[in-house]
Amino acid sequence: MSERLRIALTKGRLQEKSVEMFEAAGLDCTPVRSPGRRLIHALPNYPLDVVLAKAPDVITYVEHGVCDLGVVGKDTVLEKGGAFYEVLDLGFGRCRFALAVKRGCDFYGTYKTRRVASKYPNVTRAFFEGKGMDVDIIKIEGSVELAPILDLADGIVDIVETGATLKENGLEPIEDVAQVSARLIVNTAAMKLYKNEITDFLSRVERELGGEA
Amino acid sequence: MNIHINTPEGTRDRLFAECLERRQVQSALVELFRRRGYTEVITPDVEFYDLFVQSGNPIPQETMLKIIDRSGKIMVMRPDCTAPIARVAATKLKHLALPQRLYYDQTVFRDRQAHAGGSREIAQCGVEMIGAVGDKADLEMVAMAVDALRACTLPQFHIELGHAGFYRTLAGQMNMPQEELERLRAAIEGKSFALLNDLLEPYRGEDACAALRRLPYLFGGVEVLDEARKLAGPCDSLDHLGRLYSELSEAGYGGCVRFDLGLVHQLDYYTGLVFRGYVEGAGAPVLSGGRYDGLMEQFGRRAEAIGFAVDVDAVGACLDVETPKLKTVIHYGPGLLARALALVDSHPAGSCELSPCRTLESTMNLAREKGAAQVLLVDCEGERWLPV
Repeated sequence: MSERLRIALTKGRLQEKSVEMFEAAGLDCTPVRSPGRRLIHALPNYPLDVVLAKAPDVITYVEHGVCDLGVVGKDTVLEKGGAFYEVLDLGFGRCRFALAVKRGCDFYGTYKTRRVASKYPNVTRAFFEGKGMDVDIIKIEGSVELAPILDLADGIVDIVETGATLKENGLEPIEDVAQVSARLIVNTAAMKLYKNEITDFLSRVERELGGEA
Repeated sequence: MNIHINTPEGTRDRLFAECLERRQVQSALVELFRRRGYTEVITPDVEFYDLFVQSGNPIPQETMLKIIDRSGKIMVMRPDCTAPIARVAATKLKHLALPQRLYYDQTVFRDRQAHAGGSREIAQCGVEMIGAVGDKADLEMVAMAVDALRACTLPQFHIELGHAGFYRTLAGQMNMPQEELERLRAAIEGKSFALLNDLLEPYRGEDACAALRRLPYLFGGVEVLDEARKLAGPCDSLDHLGRLYSELSEAGYGGCVRFDLGLVHQLDYYTGLVFRGYVEGAGAPVLSGGRYDGLMEQFGRRAEAIGFAVDVDAVGACLDVETPKLKTVIHYGPGLLARALALVDSHPAGSCELSPCRTLESTMNLAREKGAAQVLLVDCEGERWLPV
């Protein structure tokens, strides 16, 4: 008896890349490409149901076991944490966390407490704790680049892809905090209960990863 | 005065079916534990903070619910049952002959992230066997773990065995700095296949490398032991697991037993066999245990120990328990209390109750309101059923 697996994909760019990868692996993803109003999409030629979710929710669904698998960025994994198996680096969605400051600003050249704005307060805290540095962290929900411009913060920790947005706003990345890419995560109990089904899916994905490299 | 009518974050009132589920699981487990010669220990809900920090059982301090007493000492709501029981066994029970078989049925308290959907109060039933080593002690424990989940009437479950010694042997052969070893261990625990490969790449030449690289995949049926032997060569911990499996199979437990050699959590704590129980329908292990021969010594008495705990509510949630429905309301006349009570007692629990009303008419109204099917009228003329 083969169990149908359920996977949560992070909506947006990671979703597109995941679908491309699954299709290359021979999975028919037509229902995900034309979703209509349905929220769960059953793949016709493989025992897999797909749901689409915001990144932190992907982790929540997988942790609670209502989804067996998930595709989510390492940025969210680092920020939110949780108990699950992080089995594969899918290689797409590559970018980096970086510390960025106003151009020409000497961030480390003072004993004054620095103030850092970020959408990722936990990642930021861990980074500066690793340096043994006390910083004030301010959580910003929207465009973090605004914080140093308005002199709310001395620097920001954020996802950097090309650096174009930073440059346009007079900021520059001065240090890498972590590398980010999409990860395939698995619920710990599902891994044990549906070993054959999950191994089959993983080996299909791994074959695609190997092909790209 | 402003009274809080809600319960604190992470706590809740359990009503009816949820209570039945919990009690059903507890009584099934306790009955099994007693039958196997285990006696109950109840430890305080509040203990000194140091007990859990110094015991070597890694409970993150931010997950402990703390209280400061009048003298300024820090106390916590018990986050775990094993350390308190080890404390008792090492002190108050130190003159009793070993092995000692103890069980507990109590709540542990762990602070969790807000809005993560978990409870701060976790009902645990578990056992500890103190002062026994060797295959027979391990066998007794694993067999009881299987019987425990079976006693809860779970249809689909299995117990998964691992061994802290297997990873230790492999890691001991690696010429790797301590910090990197910890990263390696975390990658194996998290089954991060890709990260593990990257970590091991510079050590490709070393003997243990091939086995470590495969470690996250080494879970499943007994065949993983053979694969592990091929990769790592002869090894005490694999032989140990192999012996346990053949004895367990002989005893009819083989179908419920699987392996995960990548169970490498809490390695400072576990010294040998480790195991977990998985149930269809639960997103996390519902049973977890292992051997911790170093724990008792922290409390001043050298003795080996092995045990496990069951997450009672996680098991209960997998059961389909319904509260009984009221069917009959009894209306009785003067002088007939004894007869009325005898009738209530003869019905299945919860399906029948006495009416406190004086007139039959109000009893009929009451029965209608509570959704009962009939009223049993008990008067001097005898007993009659009246449909509602």
